[in-house]
Amino acid sequence: MNPELKQALVDYLLAMADDELILGHRNSEWCGHAPILEEDIAFANIALDEIGHAIVWYELAADVLGEERETYANRMVYFRDAPDYRNTQMVELPKGDWAFTMLRQYLFDQFEMVRLEKLAQSSYAPLSEAAAKIRTEEMYHLRHTQAWVRRLGLGTEESHRRMQTALNEIWPHAIALFQPSDSEILLINAEYVPATSALKTEWMERIMSYLQEARLTLPQTSVVPSRTHHTEHLAALLSDLQQIARLDPMAKW
Amino acid sequence: MGTRGNGGLRGEISIMTDTQWPRYMVLHQEQDDKPHQHAGTVHAPDAEMALLNARDVFVRRPDCVSLWVVRADLIFTRTQEELALHPEWLDSIQPRGDTAETYYVFAKLTQKGQFSYVGEVEAENPARALKMALQKYGDIAGLAWWVFPVKAVLKSTPDDIEAMFAPAAAKDFRDQANFHALSVLRKLMRKQETSDEP
Repeated sequence: MNPELKQALVDYLLAMADDELILGHRNSEWCGHAPILEEDIAFANIALDEIGHAIVWYELAADVLGEERETYANRMVYFRDAPDYRNTQMVELPKGDWAFTMLRQYLFDQFEMVRLEKLAQSSYAPLSEAAAKIRTEEMYHLRHTQAWVRRLGLGTEESHRRMQTALNEIWPHAIALFQPSDSEILLINAEYVPATSALKTEWMERIMSYLQEARLTLPQTSVVPSRTHHTEHLAALLSDLQQIARLDPMAKW
Repeated sequence: MGTRGNGGLRGEISIMTDTQWPRYMVLHQEQDDKPHQHAGTVHAPDAEMALLNARDVFVRRPDCVSLWVVRADLIFTRTQEELALHPEWLDSIQPRGDTAETYYVFAKLTQKGQFSYVGEVEAENPARALKMALQKYGDIAGLAWWVFPVKAVLKSTPDDIEAMFAPAAAKDFRDQANFHALSVLRKLMRKQETSDEP
């Protein structure tokens, strides 16, 4: 692998890992606060799965760079500041209400599902193997969040209103998931990854009918934020996530 | 039995009239050659959500090849004591209702054991299903019995195994006692406070 391709791959993996880590952390904030006990357990499981997927992607990046896996993952997670994170703004937004959380997770799960199906065919074997494995967990996430989106969309006047409000807020951020990175073209040419922008058609097809069925209407897309710009919410999240490591880099917990 | 009756099986959403979600019994099968057993209960607005909740609450760690949920209020149950106390009750049951349907029969065999699948009977109503179960499976000394219509059960399908049950098998279980983040954080905060003092 030439150095440019290597760097492009690391950037791609880091963006995926950061999305999963930050979303997983946001979801973990529901632990002990979900609407009912059963959902508390279910959603904590989903949060853990996402963080687990993040670890998989960080470790793949470490392998590409020839670094030690755990050291590299820890450095990426605990010792980068907000501007260096490459997650989309969608995942760093505060958890909001249950409607917001479920809708965000649903749109993200469906995005992941579309991407993982393609990544499972990557010519870079470690990537295709990891994608195939993660995909089975995402199938379950999707079933769970789909079920909630439908019920909240079709539920009471209040649940419907909250879902529509959530969709209006999330929509431009969801569209941002399909912004390609500058170096992505190298990976596409090497048949490592699908073109991110091309995933959008498939994703739109899947979510449109489902959202319509839940009686939700898509808002107009306004300005789409980029992965290099973050809201103030990310720094706040990281100060929580990184608190121990920054107080004592040698701490074990 | 309509949507209200079975709590909405796959694809149906029942309209809630109560603020409390109904209770569903969860029955799981650990291996193909073992019977379905009672795992516990979950609350859910409908059967599909109950099945998802059941997966998360009961089968994330142990092996599972099949999961069933059935609304608790659709289970007809009698204990050995109840049957012994009112033996005439069984004789008073007459075939009633229109057509027969298939009922699952579950029994609890030991005090500490769980209700387990015993078999199936065809009956016109739950009471009669129990009577037939006691006749058909009389050699089983059940401490308590359950009968419920097969069509009231929402089941996972073999296609669900890959996404619902398989990923859990590969996961490590870490006991709560192995997580030290909070105590480490408190210690570090105390240390920082002490060093901040003049």
